[in-house]
Amino acid sequence: MTKPSQNRWVDYAVFGLSLFLLFCLLFDTYIKLPRLIAWVGRWHPLVLHFPIVLLLLCAFLGLTGRKVPKQLLTIAVLLSLLTAISGFFLGKEMAPKGDLLFWHQWMGGGLALLAAVWYGLVESNFNKPIFYKILQVTLIGLIFATGHYGGMVTHGENFLALPSEKRANKIPENPLLYKDVVGRILENKCVSCHNPNKTKGGLLMTSLDALLAGGEVGNTIQPGNPEESEMIRRVHLPIEDEEHMPPEDKQALNEQEIEILERWIALGASDTLRLVHLQSSEQLKGLVEGLMQPDTREKWAKLPEVADSTLQRLNTDYVTIKRIAGDANALSVNVYKSPRYVAKQVTGLNFVSQNIVQLDISGLPIGQDEMNFIGSCANLEWLELDKTPITDTEIEALNLLSKLKTLKIYSTAISDGSIAVFNKMDGLREIYLWNTKITATGIKDLKSKNPMLRIEGGIAEELRNSFVISDSL
Amino acid sequence: MEENKDASENPLKSNRRHFFSQLSVGIGSLALGSLLIPDLFKGSGPSLASKGDLGVAHFAPKAKRIIYLFQAGAPSQLETFDYKPILRKRMGEDLPESIRNGQRLTGMTANQDKFPLMPPKIGFKKHGESQTWISDFFPHIAKIADDITVVRSMHTEAINHDPAITFFQTGSQIAGRPSMGSWLSYGLGSENKNLPSFVVLTSRGKGNSQGLYSKLWSSGFLDSKHQGVLLRSGKDPVLYLNDPDGISRSDKRHLLDHVASLNKMHHVETGDDEIESRIAQYEMAYRMQMSVPDVMDISKEPQSIIDLYGEDCQVPGTYAANALQARRLAENGVRFIQLYHQGWDQHGNLHNEMAGQAKDVDQASAALVLDLKQRGMLEDTLVVWGGEFGRGNYAQGKFDPENYGRDHHPKAFSIWMAGGGIKPGLNYGQTDEFGYNVVENPVHINDFHATLMHQMGLDHEKLTYKYQGRRFRLTDVAGNVINDLLA
Repeated sequence: MTKPSQNRWVDYAVFGLSLFLLFCLLFDTYIKLPRLIAWVGRWHPLVLHFPIVLLLLCAFLGLTGRKVPKQLLTIAVLLSLLTAISGFFLGKEMAPKGDLLFWHQWMGGGLALLAAVWYGLVESNFNKPIFYKILQVTLIGLIFATGHYGGMVTHGENFLALPSEKRANKIPENPLLYKDVVGRILENKCVSCHNPNKTKGGLLMTSLDALLAGGEVGNTIQPGNPEESEMIRRVHLPIEDEEHMPPEDKQALNEQEIEILERWIALGASDTLRLVHLQSSEQLKGLVEGLMQPDTREKWAKLPEVADSTLQRLNTDYVTIKRIAGDANALSVNVYKSPRYVAKQVTGLNFVSQNIVQLDISGLPIGQDEMNFIGSCANLEWLELDKTPITDTEIEALNLLSKLKTLKIYSTAISDGSIAVFNKMDGLREIYLWNTKITATGIKDLKSKNPMLRIEGGIAEELRNSFVISDSL
Repeated sequence: MEENKDASENPLKSNRRHFFSQLSVGIGSLALGSLLIPDLFKGSGPSLASKGDLGVAHFAPKAKRIIYLFQAGAPSQLETFDYKPILRKRMGEDLPESIRNGQRLTGMTANQDKFPLMPPKIGFKKHGESQTWISDFFPHIAKIADDITVVRSMHTEAINHDPAITFFQTGSQIAGRPSMGSWLSYGLGSENKNLPSFVVLTSRGKGNSQGLYSKLWSSGFLDSKHQGVLLRSGKDPVLYLNDPDGISRSDKRHLLDHVASLNKMHHVETGDDEIESRIAQYEMAYRMQMSVPDVMDISKEPQSIIDLYGEDCQVPGTYAANALQARRLAENGVRFIQLYHQGWDQHGNLHNEMAGQAKDVDQASAALVLDLKQRGMLEDTLVVWGGEFGRGNYAQGKFDPENYGRDHHPKAFSIWMAGGGIKPGLNYGQTDEFGYNVVENPVHINDFHATLMHQMGLDHEKLTYKYQGRRFRLTDVAGNVINDLLA
């Protein structure tokens, strides 16, 4: 029996696409997509609706004992394969692939391959109705599961969850520790079982008063005494323990969250305490600040594009420019002392001034020109100017560096005249200014204007002295 | 595509693999394969195109550089950071077999019929808010207890110095793999093109020493430019770097240009990449003639810094001088600074020898951490202090609490780390009450390497180099990042 040639080409297409899909799935980690092909992936959300409908239709016809039109099945199978392949391309743009995408990808791939198997069986005149039925039922199951996971990838995991009050995702600057940090943890991990509708163990966790009131067991939190607090005791129990909270099937608190709860209770479980009130040695400070750190990818996404060729051109023996990570447009720049230093080595970077996020020019004999250039690097977050000959006059140029977080300016001749400029840098979190002419009054002024600022004044005198009087054994 | 260019430049660079990779372009689906996987048919993985320098972190790094204060010879954990009072209570009793559990011993104690428990002669105190146990050998490190993280649950497999130190440096007990510093140089490139990205400084205490060999800082199968460079103490830090008398810098330039043109001719003939490395090394050496004396010159360090590191830091070749040098190299963009202090192999006369060794390193190690801290460099510099394994909790040879020694012990030992995004003031991991086995949060050397690389912005599973037909990693096929240690 010879087949019409058109039919044969369809067979080849189905076989080829299946093979290609399998190849993609198996060698996922080695594959890098050319741009144009990556673009094809963008069509995935459009194409995917066709195979869903067509395959469901085929399976429905098959299951109800009707004949599945050959052409319908062919189109459905081809479209499923194309959908799966385009989906794979689209997925390559998301790195790293989360659990949701992982399952979506493998179920979707499996779905398309299973559809191809159906086509292959029909083509080879395989005739065992029960096999077809099983295949069709599996297909329907996979369609729903894949679709659900795909939906969660695009719309978020909780898209189908029941509506609840929304809260801003970001922790505000200088947060209230109860409302913005502790409350958030409780809301994410505890409140689903301890709310006015469902009050397990008689415990309500939606407000501080309710927490202090406790549940049936009592002593949910003991301000100042985490060890005595029932809540803390329970989160520390081994996960298989009946009393462990949250229960085994719910998402447990991570170590960081537990530490935050403990320290907050240890500090008196207050709802008025803010981040700035904490001493810099307080562990809670670091923990909360860790939570507040914005995702770096997001932060740098708006920077202008820099080509690799530009970086290569600007890199010299004494200037090192690097992307901070991967293909980010955020740059870190180091300029080293060369035997014949000229200002151009710094000011020549003006081509990428908006991309420079970290700049280290410590120890260079810089002057006003360089400082003017630095002042124009609006996205600068980290600046090292230590051991340079700058004075209060040149510091003026840094007036507009609002994103600056870390400034190293130790071992320079600056004095209290520079404080006014530092006070304007709202984002400043760390400043290193030992071995300068800045006085205690200046430091006090700095501290009062920017309570979030950590001022490094060098090794404490007492500690330094203990090194001089060497106490040997 | 780069592949084609490379091969067309020199026919000798085309080998069997290249041939097949070219051929494959014509073969149906494989063509698409090589389009989608540029590295699929390459000889040496992702490295070939950029000639052994990847140069970019996988993700934003917490640490930019590492200073590794290696205490060669293996200081005893029981006299440094792992306080075990039971050893005094049960002094002289035989180590229970339930604890020893058939552990392999070295030839030095394998034939002992008794393993009498031996307490440390030195006292211990808790220090800082972190309440870290530190022995009285280290009064200065005690002062930075809240800046460091002590890991008491390190363990290794090797029981003798050479395999153990090789394991620590290269991820394998058998010599020949690239050193940790070489991997980082390969993965991240150099920060300052005028200095090597991997520098080694050695010093030696009066205690019983074991050898150090340059294979420990070898680049193995990686490009030789990633090799560690040993800086010697004294007038000539790098041998043969200085020009002979009567040769001016412009003469030198002239010479190098000519040598380079000859080398390039040779490269066209043979296509050997190591020739390009050689040319680059000559250029680097030329620049180092200016940069090295500048970095090594501590005469401009203020008295307060000299006081901090201790008087010894003015004596070239001491640990203190090397520690100060390490800070200066770190400031100048050297990625991996490896110090070795020899003399920690106390098989006998442990108390006295350790007192001397500790005196060598205590103040300068603490000073380095404080100095980095005041410069804001502790945030992006990871400092590590530790040896290649631990020491047994029983006496080696004759039982004498006044003059005792300890044999090698791989199953548990202590190191500390500071900065580079490691949680400060943490006490991590625990050993059993005899200090013999790890009972909580074990950290294997592979895990340690994975964690260090993670802090440097590298995924230890992704930084690979294909050699002899398979991809190699620093952690080979093991290792997990210890997330609990990260701030």
